[in-house]
Amino acid sequence: MSTEAILAEYIEKELAKGRKSRIGYDDDLLSEGIIDSLGILQLVAFIEDQFGIHIEDEDVVLENFMSVSALTRYLQSRKPV
Amino acid sequence: MNSIFLLPQAILESAERYPNHDAIRCSSKCLTYQELVTQANSVARVLTAEGVRPGDRVGIYLNKSVEAVTGIYGAMMAGAVYVPLDPFAPVARVRFVIRDCGIRHLVTSEGKAAQLEELFQEETGLQCLIGVAPRETFPTRCIPWNEVQQLAHEPLRVARITEQDLAYILYTSGSTGTPKGIMHTHRSGLSFAQWAVNTYAVCHEDVLSNHAPFHFDLSTFDLYAGAIAGATTVVIPEAVTRLPVSLAKLMESERISIWYSVPFALIQLMEHANLPSRDLSALRWVLFAGEPFPTKHLRAIMNLLPHARFSNLYGPTETNVCTYYHVPPLPPDSDEPIPIGEPCANVEDLVVDAENNPVAPGEVGELLIRGGVVMQGYWGRPDLTERGFYIRTSHGFLKDIFYRTGDLVQLLPDGNYRFLGRKDRQIKTRGYRVELDEIETALLSHPLVHEAAVYPVPDGQGSNLIEAGVILKPDANITPADLVEHVAKRLPPYAVPAKIILTDDFPRTSTGKINRRELQERAAAR
Repeated sequence: MSTEAILAEYIEKELAKGRKSRIGYDDDLLSEGIIDSLGILQLVAFIEDQFGIHIEDEDVVLENFMSVSALTRYLQSRKPV
Repeated sequence: MNSIFLLPQAILESAERYPNHDAIRCSSKCLTYQELVTQANSVARVLTAEGVRPGDRVGIYLNKSVEAVTGIYGAMMAGAVYVPLDPFAPVARVRFVIRDCGIRHLVTSEGKAAQLEELFQEETGLQCLIGVAPRETFPTRCIPWNEVQQLAHEPLRVARITEQDLAYILYTSGSTGTPKGIMHTHRSGLSFAQWAVNTYAVCHEDVLSNHAPFHFDLSTFDLYAGAIAGATTVVIPEAVTRLPVSLAKLMESERISIWYSVPFALIQLMEHANLPSRDLSALRWVLFAGEPFPTKHLRAIMNLLPHARFSNLYGPTETNVCTYYHVPPLPPDSDEPIPIGEPCANVEDLVVDAENNPVAPGEVGELLIRGGVVMQGYWGRPDLTERGFYIRTSHGFLKDIFYRTGDLVQLLPDGNYRFLGRKDRQIKTRGYRVELDEIETALLSHPLVHEAAVYPVPDGQGSNLIEAGVILKPDANITPADLVEHVAKRLPPYAVPAKIILTDDFPRTSTGKINRRELQERAAAR
């Protein structure tokens, strides 16, 4: 599965809670209310576990977390996928 | 400045004194006081031309933005009552509110087009949308923002209404399963905002944060205390409020001088945003409200921001704010909860027992509040209003209304109140108030649910997570995820249980009732 697909599936199943059933890779996760503050913490923990990396607090910012695509770009910058 | 009697007069007055000073900043947009007045007036003229009359309800349904603020002031300048709708609430809930208070005009945005289409799948009663272009799927008049702005040359006019008229209605969780609308007048809104300007010495050089959403009563401080003082209010987009590091960067770059939020937001900032590395030297007041701030976290953040003063504001949405407590330096060796403080000026406090008799100082009772800050009542629910109000004779002859807060308090020897808990099943989760009964009603509305019990579990961050236990009907084949999806269509996101546990039976009391306390203790022990 691609990084995008893994992230989108996790967000759909665990975080969106039925608010949105299909997450587009460019959907604005935060401005559309798909993920809330607790969701961010869960997502960070999921990514750290899934991809075996540590995400610094300083990286948990709008530019990196606004969409599945943005997150994927961030993860690619962290390590070769 | 003290002569104003309507909330929108605050921006008109400040536009006279500081026309070119920023009133509102949000993302990359900003409006000076002069621009805000002009644009709000355009919205008011459009609303009036579209049939809005004093007392009509106008919905505000869009993400936090300068347009949302313009819509709020525009509605009030037209003499209407603004009703902020949670942009992230399920559409069915938004539709309920629109129909409940008879909203015909909605200020919205293209970003809400998908939700609007879903909204129109059932009858809404809406006649006019402001902020969107016409579409086949919108069976209403549609007036995009660029058309609104063409009215920028219309003369300024505020509708002829009085301070007793309604200014806004804030919908909140209702224990019977549907939200209820708390009605505030211009008088009750101003009563709080003017007190706040005086108490925190808000001046035009201040930069206020607007962290809370507009459907949450904390936002009235940010908007109206800011406007009365001629200060700048920085409207923080929802996305930024979710990300502590982005939020801290905004506090730094905007040089926020007065911060106001729920404790949860401050705890998140402290734990994830590396505050010591930020230049927050402009910050002079940190105000918090919504739920108790755990003392150990409060002490820690006070140590990180030694140049700022901290103040605890207390009050149910029905009373705006009614007591306050400026937090003194906290002793390092005690985690004793801080008090909710003393009554605000122009507020009378009364503590009564179950028979409405005043208790002796120091005894526990329910806090009742009288004064200008008290709401007008619940929209369309005289039954709830009657239950919430207690009419009592003051000074031997004056019959007046006290609001029953439902909060149990105790007067301390130093004149401050201590908050001890609720009389009913209302809880706070991350500052939002939620009726546990409303969540149980939502679960029980699923045809395969036999019994449901909802209870709060402390999250270790000073707030609660919501958990639910559910007994399904025999042979029901559904999962907790199905139930989450079911309630997410009925409740705002913060009220959806973080965990739903399927079970065969509940612990019971001797009378056979579900023992929710036992469930809660078991969950907390896990």
